[in-house]
Amino acid sequence: MERNEFLLSLDELLEFEPGTITGSETLDSLDGWNSLAVISFMALVDERFGVSLQPRQIAASTTVSDLVRLLGDRISAEIPN
Amino acid sequence: MINPLDLSGQTILVTGASSGIGRETARLISQLGAHVVVAGRNEERLTETVRSLDGEGHRAELFDLSSVDEIPSWLKRISASFGPLHGLVHSAGTIKLRPLRALNSQTVEDLMSINVNAAIGLAKGFCQKNVHAPSGSIVFLSSVTGLTGQAGLAAYAASKGAIVALTRALAVELAAEGIRVNCVAPGLVTTEMGQGQLGLLTPEQGAALEAMHLLGFGCARDVSNAIAFLLAETARWITGTVLVVDGGYTAH
Repeated sequence: MERNEFLLSLDELLEFEPGTITGSETLDSLDGWNSLAVISFMALVDERFGVSLQPRQIAASTTVSDLVRLLGDRISAEIPN
Repeated sequence: MINPLDLSGQTILVTGASSGIGRETARLISQLGAHVVVAGRNEERLTETVRSLDGEGHRAELFDLSSVDEIPSWLKRISASFGPLHGLVHSAGTIKLRPLRALNSQTVEDLMSINVNAAIGLAKGFCQKNVHAPSGSIVFLSSVTGLTGQAGLAAYAASKGAIVALTRALAVELAAEGIRVNCVAPGLVTTEMGQGQLGLLTPEQGAALEAMHLLGFGCARDVSNAIAFLLAETARWITGTVLVVDGGYTAH
């Protein structure tokens, strides 16, 4: 999955217009990023990436880019066209 | 001295016996004298369960409960070679923490299939002619989430609430056949499944959940004790009931 696709799925999770999240946002600034959203996010990465994240890993993340980093190699870097 | 929970000479089927509450129930009722047929999907773990049972005459049955339509003929085969069943405990089950927005129909179906559909199949199999003894006891596993709300568990809660309704309906339907039907509704128990759920929470959320259990989290034996009570003569006059075993979770 590309980074952009991942950001779009995060938009979907938080019911934002597609393309709203760009990656540099702090999680605290995202409307609706609460404990249930965190659990939904864990379900999302489990189902789409087969990655089991620990709540503390997410709690230690400050920005959307930190979340991207948690998935490591499973998200390819942006491919320049 | 008497043992009101004596299960000597009784044959009891326990699903989900390869771990958690199912395994602990199999152990306890074997110590109370029952012959136990332990069912599950993992042969190695089932064999381990059988090895940990007290006494002789137990048996492991590999079976995938998602084949619901095959359950009645499976129970026929078991009773044909093992004698009629006196009790049935449906402890196999699954849980998914999924807030509504992250919930899809496949997850709902998976939960309903093992938690509810298989329970109906087992009851149907159990009440067949010659499968059950003249008096039989069915015990299902509900949950406190089937009785009170908890965020993120709507689908699981629906399946466990369904068990409460199923218990009452079947108690009425099967009383004339000498079959009692009850369920237990545990709070969070520190089995592998319970630990897995706790692992999805932050330490603060885990501590808050534990505080809701006035007596702390339970262990598998706390629940299997209640199951044994419902299987034994002690519950002769009890059917269609929900026995809450939750360390006080639903008391407030």
